[in-house]
Amino acid sequence: MMRFLGPLAVFIITAVGAHWATLAYAPSVIMDRALATLKDRGVAEHAFTSPVRISPQTQVVVRSSPDMFYSLCRYDLSETGSSLSITMNEWSMYQSLTFFDAETNNYLTLRGTGKTISQTLYGPGTLGEGTKFGEYSPTKRGVILIRRLAPTPELFEAASEIGKGDRCELVTP
Amino acid sequence: MILRTLTYLIIALAGIGAGVASALYLSGLWSTKQPMEFGNVNVDGWVSDFAVGSKQASPYVRARVARHGLLAMAQSEAVYFVRGTDGDGERLSASCTYRLSGGALPADWWSITLYETSNSMLPMNEDQALSVDATSIVIEGEEGGTAWQAVIAPERPTDAPNWISSRNADSFDLLLRLYVPSDAVRNDPEATLNPPTIERLSCEGDAA
Repeated sequence: MMRFLGPLAVFIITAVGAHWATLAYAPSVIMDRALATLKDRGVAEHAFTSPVRISPQTQVVVRSSPDMFYSLCRYDLSETGSSLSITMNEWSMYQSLTFFDAETNNYLTLRGTGKTISQTLYGPGTLGEGTKFGEYSPTKRGVILIRRLAPTPELFEAASEIGKGDRCELVTP
Repeated sequence: MILRTLTYLIIALAGIGAGVASALYLSGLWSTKQPMEFGNVNVDGWVSDFAVGSKQASPYVRARVARHGLLAMAQSEAVYFVRGTDGDGERLSASCTYRLSGGALPADWWSITLYETSNSMLPMNEDQALSVDATSIVIEGEEGGTAWQAVIAPERPTDAPNWISSRNADSFDLLLRLYVPSDAVRNDPEATLNPPTIERLSCEGDAA
């Protein structure tokens, strides 16, 4: 009986370790693949990428909404002291600015119906005490998403025009 | 000695395999289920997964939401409900015609969009009738009313102002999006939401 204890202990320890590691790293792996896919599809880094209107012929993601204007910006704040200057231009209908870190967490959402939203984003751990003039990203990499309600071709065209004023610019020291 | 080492190596690999597999299964990452089958809210057949878009502590839920709710909106911005059956519990099919009936919904804006069940994509047609929404829906009756009806069919109906095309959809789901939902519907959807009903009107092959 005793001779099985060693193998049993090895099995339990490796199983628990692998179980925990899978859960812990799954979001990072999923987001890493998502960021690579976005890059392959032409989503720019440090700039919002103008979208095409969702239709049966243009859809690439499951359950995309044909009512929305989606604009994405990938970011990388690896450079010491760098930050991101973000502006979501004014839109009279619903719009929001959503920030996702490299572990898929939505760590900030700003609603901007009828107004312009400007936000500075810093890298993790770069804000000093009492200097919180912006938000900081929990991870160095991530993605920012603008959603604008634009349920008709005419409104989507207008949202595209407005989108030319959106900014997602890397600021280096 | 070599045999003993080999035995422990095999056991360790088996342990790793069991650990990874159990984590993937328990978190829903290794499953044939549709994402909404993990739903924890059901309002008259309209199902939602309120874990998506919320802050969840469980690592299992976090992993599942990372996969099925990637880049999803926060619940304060939108909640989603999906339904794949009619009022009689039959699967929604492009070979049938349905009447969708609803009223005011507890959100700043809403839409109902049709997706193919097999791949969760919009059906491949050019009818430009993928959805009905709060902006374009034609309300019934007198001004100030809220009741509306829409026909779901593969061909544009001649006598209905609101139409969702099911052309080339085969089997399909309807996705109800509530943008900027009320606090009440986020906190207690079963008591607050009065979702649209789906009545099957006819099917191909029905006796005339």
